[in-house]
Amino acid sequence: MAKIIGGIGTSHVPTIGVAYDKGKQNDPAWAPLFKGYEPVAQWLKEKEADVLVFFYNDHATTFFFDVYPTFALGVGASFPIADEGAGLRNLPPIRGNLDLQIHVAESLVNDEFDLTVFQEKPIDHGCASPLPLLWPHEPDWPGTVVPIAINVLQFPLPTGRRCYKLGQAVRRAIESYPEDLRVVVVGTGGLSHQVHGERTGFNNTDWDYEFLNLLEHDPEALLALRHADYIERGGAESVEQIMWLAMRGALDGPIERTHLNYYLATTTAMTVALFEPREAVETHTAKQEASAS
Amino acid sequence: MNPQLQGAEAIAGTYPFDLRVSNRALRLNRFFWNMIQAPSRDAFHRDPEQAMAQAGLSEEEKALVRTEDWIGLVRYGGNFFVMEKFARVVKKTNLEVYAMMRGESFEDFMKTRKVPDAR
Repeated sequence: MAKIIGGIGTSHVPTIGVAYDKGKQNDPAWAPLFKGYEPVAQWLKEKEADVLVFFYNDHATTFFFDVYPTFALGVGASFPIADEGAGLRNLPPIRGNLDLQIHVAESLVNDEFDLTVFQEKPIDHGCASPLPLLWPHEPDWPGTVVPIAINVLQFPLPTGRRCYKLGQAVRRAIESYPEDLRVVVVGTGGLSHQVHGERTGFNNTDWDYEFLNLLEHDPEALLALRHADYIERGGAESVEQIMWLAMRGALDGPIERTHLNYYLATTTAMTVALFEPREAVETHTAKQEASAS
Repeated sequence: MNPQLQGAEAIAGTYPFDLRVSNRALRLNRFFWNMIQAPSRDAFHRDPEQAMAQAGLSEEEKALVRTEDWIGLVRYGGNFFVMEKFARVVKKTNLEVYAMMRGESFEDFMKTRKVPDAR
């Protein structure tokens, strides 16, 4: 059976992709960001993750507002990375596992999450900006992605609680898949930032850390928040953190944050956090202690 | 009023993009969205006035596009995530657009940032 072995929360700032493509990994202004992803990439490699389920948002690239889905799941063996106005990036297409994606679609719809399915569409920086920091891509990605797009652009958005329930339904879908796959769920976006209007450039580091702690220990407190609460506390576009709630819902049960990198350079609190089921962390620690004694 | 958004209207400098706004500004935002296609970019570079006319933009919308009035576009109903596609076409970075929305010079804006060299 497929199994969820952990969760990752990550920003998806497009500038990360630009800095990556320009080879700024060792630039003093960018190194603190790229270095912060290395332990997560290492963990994915050690755990031999087969699949990343991405709760991400489309930035009106794949979809326009004339038909804008609340939840949409990508089905296909391959998704090109989108041209967002600046031309194509030098990255291979994102790989998909057709059987798994179709199983997830069937399981979600039968579980009363009646989402949209998209095929043969390009995917934008919501997924493509953090992906090369998590997985190597030469000569090709080591695994497949289940892309699940969430509307965080055009209100009404799904509530935070609805996103959490989507995560729980995705967990049921994964755990009912017969093949032994190691799956990691990824929630993208945030943390605090605002990129429209005169309030552009707003951040709130205290709230960012409170969010991270509540996500780990008391997600129910976050589920009670309204979109306006996120806008007020973390800036308008930080409302996309509801996608981290989907990731949290897919983890269920007690978890432990085993890595965090928080880097607020210009306008977005660029963050990457790794969460593992507490049981897995305790087993790992016990093994380490046993081998040390 | 969407209860999830109640209170957001009182936050200065913030313009929630809901269906009322989206419906009003759909043509303008579609014009920006089209910039993900190379032929649309080429058509704009060749003849901006014709490209705007073909997109069915009103005189008010054309003036906002012509002057690259980013804050005016947001107030009108422009969605930032399609506006940033147009910004690539007119060779503006997001950081430059942010400064203009705040009514600041680029250098003054960057001085307010924690790591001004992260560009």
